[in-house]
Amino acid sequence: MKKYIFSRVVQGILTVFFIATATFFAMHLVPGDPLMDAKAMTPEIRANLEAKYGLDQPVLVQYSTFMKNMLLGDFGISFTQKNRSVNDIISEHFPVSAVLGVLAILYAALGGILWGALTAKYRNKWPDHVIMVLVILGISVPNFVVAAVSQWATVNLNELAGTSILPVAGWGEFSNMILPAMALGLSTMAYLTRLMRNSMLDVGNSDYIRTAKAKGLKASRIFVQHELRNSVLPLITILGPAIAAITTGGFVVEKIFAIPGLGRYFVQAVQQLDYTVIMGLTVFYGAFLVFMVIAVDVIYGLIDPRIRLAK
Amino acid sequence: MAKDIVLDVKDLKVEFDTYGGVVKAVRGVDFQVERGKTLGIVGESGCGKSVTMQSIMGLIPMPPGRITSGTAKLDGLELLKVSPEKARSIRGKEIGMIFQDPMSSMNPTMKIGKQIAETLIVHRGYSEEKALNEAKRLLDRTKIPEAHKRASQFPFEFSGGMLQRAIIAMALACKPKLLIADEPTTALDVTIQEQILDLLKELQTEDNMSIIMITHDLGVVARMADQVSVMYAGQVIESGSVDEIFYKSSHPYTIGLRQAMPVNDEQNSTKLIPIEGSPPDLFSPPKACAYYARCPYAMEVCNKQDPSYTMIGETHRAKCWMQDARAPKNDDLHQAHL
Repeated sequence: MKKYIFSRVVQGILTVFFIATATFFAMHLVPGDPLMDAKAMTPEIRANLEAKYGLDQPVLVQYSTFMKNMLLGDFGISFTQKNRSVNDIISEHFPVSAVLGVLAILYAALGGILWGALTAKYRNKWPDHVIMVLVILGISVPNFVVAAVSQWATVNLNELAGTSILPVAGWGEFSNMILPAMALGLSTMAYLTRLMRNSMLDVGNSDYIRTAKAKGLKASRIFVQHELRNSVLPLITILGPAIAAITTGGFVVEKIFAIPGLGRYFVQAVQQLDYTVIMGLTVFYGAFLVFMVIAVDVIYGLIDPRIRLAK
Repeated sequence: MAKDIVLDVKDLKVEFDTYGGVVKAVRGVDFQVERGKTLGIVGESGCGKSVTMQSIMGLIPMPPGRITSGTAKLDGLELLKVSPEKARSIRGKEIGMIFQDPMSSMNPTMKIGKQIAETLIVHRGYSEEKALNEAKRLLDRTKIPEAHKRASQFPFEFSGGMLQRAIIAMALACKPKLLIADEPTTALDVTIQEQILDLLKELQTEDNMSIIMITHDLGVVARMADQVSVMYAGQVIESGSVDEIFYKSSHPYTIGLRQAMPVNDEQNSTKLIPIEGSPPDLFSPPKACAYYARCPYAMEVCNKQDPSYTMIGETHRAKCWMQDARAPKNDDLHQAHL
């Protein structure tokens, strides 16, 4: 097990290294530079600034400087925000994004399991048909539309109630988190519902469920002890990619709900070609996702004993 | 002396609604199982063996399944009319069941010991700990080495033969009166088959348990069964003691099955004769004899009227016009026994 985790971590570090390298050169291929938006730019000021930030060096030298600093855990200082280090930006805003992401994942996973189990139990009856139509909607409608529609619905609801039931945007209270988490997790939840439904039906037809019935177990016991755990397994596999989807989707949703998360800085940095922020956030997100995928695999091993020893 | 009957099934008929129409899977099956004895049920795939057993166990999904007639009495208790709750309390307690493929018949993510213990917790009300100890004893009884250690392993850590032993231990946990074994050795290789059959015989004697052995392997029947019922197209076409079925086969289908069975002789002179054709469509089963289309001895009457049972011996009967008193004597049929 330790050996397995170790090799996965080494692979992960390599992955992050490649992400960093690719992003670095791609970023430098984009025309323009971080200083292009600055006002009152004379050639002298520009030369001074370029020297200050090391932009006058060849790209390869910049690359090696960046890599060295990154290994030391220093992503540098933002080009566009005065005196703010990238590390500060991450430590200040990532917790917000993380809370939102965790809520969205929880909402998606619990909802997916619940609705999936329900549709499987009522297969080909009306609850199944209704939910499956909603699932297709949920998968195909992009989350910024869901976010906007949910805001519109909330506004109307608040108006109807004559009081503010849910805040439409902002951050701070738990009530602020409900709408964005739901908008963010919806498509993942819809996808998980489908997966769970199929998985439940597969497991329901399996030989070991027949055995469980032949043993005279109660339906509730068969469901909890035998069906649920085995049906959830395939869902865990896609939890890694789902986390990635939710994190990247978070950029847009954060913007719509005016949430001070990391996503907004990422988008802004790309627009302004803020080299250090782009690199810092890409490497950070890359490392985060790689870590989550490894964590999911380890969790998978804990739930499915067949995986545990196979490694 | 009156026979001590554990299970008495009469005129069982089961149908299934499908998109293609109504499948008459079981069309009037009768059999009896004596206490402590083994009934072998033989027949090819799709002849209704498994559906018959599932009906008795109350495991037929309804709908689409439907039991249209019949009785099945387990020590006098009518199994086909009990409430689902009562049926559940009989399954695993009064009737145990083991299945064809041990590798897929156990929950892959639950420890073996716990899966066996479950039965005891549900039917006997044992505590978790007591049930687990009993499970270890049961594993030991089915000759699984290091039962203590094995109980806390998962199915994928067992070989097929070991797993079938564990499944037997599970089915016998509550000392059922009757064990239904649905092709218990089909998925195992021959040496393991032998061990599993030996084990079943041994446990049967210890517990004075009855066994219904469903199989299409006549070798298994010859080894295990006291009585044999041969099924074809949802009906029992011949039944009798194991000697009667093997040495006085009276239905052309039974004879066909025997001729299609490999024989181990030194000269390799015995030819395998397959049964030509395929079983009838059970969406619209033939009104007369279901075997007519494949029967080498078929007569005109066979396609017009369904034969009834002719008693050949005290327990031996066959559903064939050839056995009718009015039928012409057929030396061929007799020859087939030699």
